[in-house]
Amino acid sequence: MISFENVSKFVLSDISIYVPEGKTVGLIGASGAGKTTFIKLACGLLSPESGTVRTIGLQPEKERKQLGKMLGILFTDISALKMDDTVAGNFELMQKVYGINKEKFRADYKDLSERLGFAAFENQMVKNLSLGQRRRSEIGAAFVSRPKLLLLDEPTVGLDENAKQVFYELLKEREKEGVTVVFTSHDMAEVSKVCGRIALIDEGRIRYYGEEEQLRKKFAPINKILLEFSDKIPDLEDLPVVRYVVNDNRLCIEYNDNYVTAAEVINLIMQQSEVKEVKMRKPDLGDIIIQLKKKGTEKWEVL
Amino acid sequence: MFIAPYFAFAKKSFLGRSAYRFEHFMSILNTCLQIFIFAGIYIALYNGRSEVDGITISMVSTNFVLSMGLKAVFCVDDYFLPSKVWDGSIANEFLRPVSFRGRMLAENMGNAAFNVIFHFLPALIISAVVIGIYPPENIVMLLLFLLSAILGYGVLWGISFAVQAAAFWAINIWSLSTLKDVFVNVLSGTMIPLWFMPEWLYEALKLTPFPYIYFTPVQIYLGQLSYRQILQQCGIQLVWIWLIYLLGTLLWKKGQKKLVVQGG
Repeated sequence: MISFENVSKFVLSDISIYVPEGKTVGLIGASGAGKTTFIKLACGLLSPESGTVRTIGLQPEKERKQLGKMLGILFTDISALKMDDTVAGNFELMQKVYGINKEKFRADYKDLSERLGFAAFENQMVKNLSLGQRRRSEIGAAFVSRPKLLLLDEPTVGLDENAKQVFYELLKEREKEGVTVVFTSHDMAEVSKVCGRIALIDEGRIRYYGEEEQLRKKFAPINKILLEFSDKIPDLEDLPVVRYVVNDNRLCIEYNDNYVTAAEVINLIMQQSEVKEVKMRKPDLGDIIIQLKKKGTEKWEVL
Repeated sequence: MFIAPYFAFAKKSFLGRSAYRFEHFMSILNTCLQIFIFAGIYIALYNGRSEVDGITISMVSTNFVLSMGLKAVFCVDDYFLPSKVWDGSIANEFLRPVSFRGRMLAENMGNAAFNVIFHFLPALIISAVVIGIYPPENIVMLLLFLLSAILGYGVLWGISFAVQAAAFWAINIWSLSTLKDVFVNVLSGTMIPLWFMPEWLYEALKLTPFPYIYFTPVQIYLGQLSYRQILQQCGIQLVWIWLIYLLGTLLWKKGQKKLVVQGG
């Protein structure tokens, strides 16, 4: 769906990546890492200094209009809506511009406007809306044309928790329908929740690209299990754990995910003792990245 | 299907204008006042004479009423494209599956259609009653006047687009836009009818696009041109539209290139 081959532009340096159709990819990186540059290259708003970019089989810079028909896009600082028109008026115009079937459009508009909550202010001028209201409308606008590809640059900025949850649901639904999504975010928890794959961009290079689980296995394999027992603490001698801490009838176990699964550890314990409560903790994606950064770029280069 | 999005932009623009009633009435008043002031000045300059160099005061008044009226119709917003370049929203326009220039033209035509019905016609009727204008030579001349007026609009719109495209390189196009307005107002016959220009200047002006914006349609309306001359003048208008379109296309493409290479 999107392929970058040895692409350099501004801060981005010699990056190669392939985003397959139907995947949701989260681009993570600090401010200035090159996330927005990536999005702009993918949609043809920037041309690469070197290398090749292909999006939906097209050369984005040269075939922007054809690409536009299949693309839903959202930028942080540029509104896709006409400020001097109402929200509903903007959507009406989109129906014509994208040549969307009227019945289909009405059904999608109704669904999006009710779920994202912009039905309540659809007759207000966009310029009079709050940031959150405008953002909800803009997300609706990116989804309503039923694009094959969604490029979303920090889409949840300005959204309240309810709107964020609806947005995540929408992304999941679109992913099931085969839509490809690339979105940038600073919020690691958000990316972890929504994206099948993550791409870590740091200082213009893609340091990691793949599933989050693989990243964890490689760089943060130590997970924790917190157990509370009704009776005795089991014998922990033969348990394949890294370390454990006992506190009254509570036990904290750290295990290496590469060698043993949580289910195996719990099964072994439950054979010996009655467990009242189990809590599992994996390191936060944000923590993994911070740790890797602290360890320096040498560690990154392994990726 | 192809025309539907552009029609939607034009319709939206037309309906959007109707929301601002006060502005609309003030515009009619403004146009009428301009016509009355210019006509008043020339009536005073004529000092009771019926004609000067074969130009009657009625011809002068008709020129003002029509050219000022057309000016009110051909109201092009020189800051439409620049504002989008400066705030970055041009990026979204690049990605829409419609031609941005087509969209601009459609919106402006929606505006022009509104101006014809609710601005030009009322101002024309008021001015005709108060000052008095020549009727069209005949119905064919009236139709040819309308055709030439549309072509004149094409020339003006093309010039405005080229000026707007300068926004890709300039951080302010105010001076360029003002310069364009001065040239259009002075050299197209809206402020000074071109009959009063020295012969050498009039001949020189014919080599520029400006007389073909307002003055050619007015000449057709007044029956000053033969059918052969009308055909010739409309042909020249088309050539100017084409040349200015090429210039606009060149600037537009270079501007886009600049944005995708340098970012914006």
